[in-house]
Amino acid sequence: MLSKVFATIAVVITGGLLLYGVYDFPSFGDPNSPPNAGVEGGADSVSQYFITQTYNDSKVPNIVTAVLADYRGYDTMFETVVVFAAGIAIFCIMRSLGNANDPAKEKDEMHSFTHGDHNRIIIGTTCRIVVPIVQIFALYVIAHGHYSPGGGFQGGVLLGASFILLALSSDLNAALKRLSEKNYFALAAIGVLIYAGFGLVAQFLGANFLEYGVLQPLLFTDGPEMARSHSMLGVEIGVAFTVMAIMFSIYANLSTRGTLKNGL
Amino acid sequence: MIISIISAIFIISGLFFFAGAAIGILRFPDFYTRTHAAGKGDTLSSLLVITGFAIYQLKGFESFAADWPILLVIFKLLSVSIFIIFTSPTSTHALMDAGWEEHNEPKIMEGRPNHLGEDSDQF
Repeated sequence: MLSKVFATIAVVITGGLLLYGVYDFPSFGDPNSPPNAGVEGGADSVSQYFITQTYNDSKVPNIVTAVLADYRGYDTMFETVVVFAAGIAIFCIMRSLGNANDPAKEKDEMHSFTHGDHNRIIIGTTCRIVVPIVQIFALYVIAHGHYSPGGGFQGGVLLGASFILLALSSDLNAALKRLSEKNYFALAAIGVLIYAGFGLVAQFLGANFLEYGVLQPLLFTDGPEMARSHSMLGVEIGVAFTVMAIMFSIYANLSTRGTLKNGL
Repeated sequence: MIISIISAIFIISGLFFFAGAAIGILRFPDFYTRTHAAGKGDTLSSLLVITGFAIYQLKGFESFAADWPILLVIFKLLSVSIFIIFTSPTSTHALMDAGWEEHNEPKIMEGRPNHLGEDSDQF
């Protein structure tokens, strides 16, 4: 009870500070704001630079992806880390809260599992057809993020949702058989590692962290522009791994109170 | 011109069925009939509207060599409609199944013949 009071106070203070910070922003679409008009006597307009130079810098037509994965790649890397940390936190909380050895709870769960349980042939068949299509579309979204809306986060969510659909249509074991707990946490960590790895390799080659241009000899590309483009794809794949694994982990832990048994 | 008219007919009939589905959700008496209205109306009207869009894309299609990207757009729209054919009825079915498992009783008028009599617990 007391902890909830303190948590509420902390949330209110944080939210208030964030709102206070938003109050200082220039209004939406303001042509005289520093990003749009530049700073007097200082830097030129940032928006202007992105709009005119993104294609020359990295051969990526989708400016949003280029800004997200390259120009502010450091920020996106830690967004991925936040997703990873959230998944780990939910895993830890549900494991310690969901008491697997409580006999009364187990009996209750058994009842809810058998009640009204019959062969869901229509739902099962449709989901079996739909899941591969969803996964292929997710790969398309990840790989096509350079040219159309999409990218690692969206494709990762689609991949995670396909596994959740599998778990919903039959049961959690069917999905865990394909993506076990060990594997999805390994995938989540590998995703962050891929992202940070691109940054570290660039550092070892003598450039700044996440400065993809110097990866040109490793990626066998024509110039630093294409190296940046390909590195963005690699980074998006890492993001997709993490998001997919953490989506499924959150579903599996929340729907079973951390026991990974029966499920919904 | 004729393509515009055909696609407009498709889209307007789709909107008509959308309106029917919305009225059905509001006016039908119980869970099952409402879900029925939502499922059937939404599926058919989405199909009609998307087919109308696909037909509208044919406007300006002159030669295959120059205008083949239009066929790509039509292919994407038709894929969406095929996806809806499979998924929308299934989700309606899943919704009704869940309601039936939760013992949500259908509303039946007194004296009406129905199949939910004494030997109805065979589901």
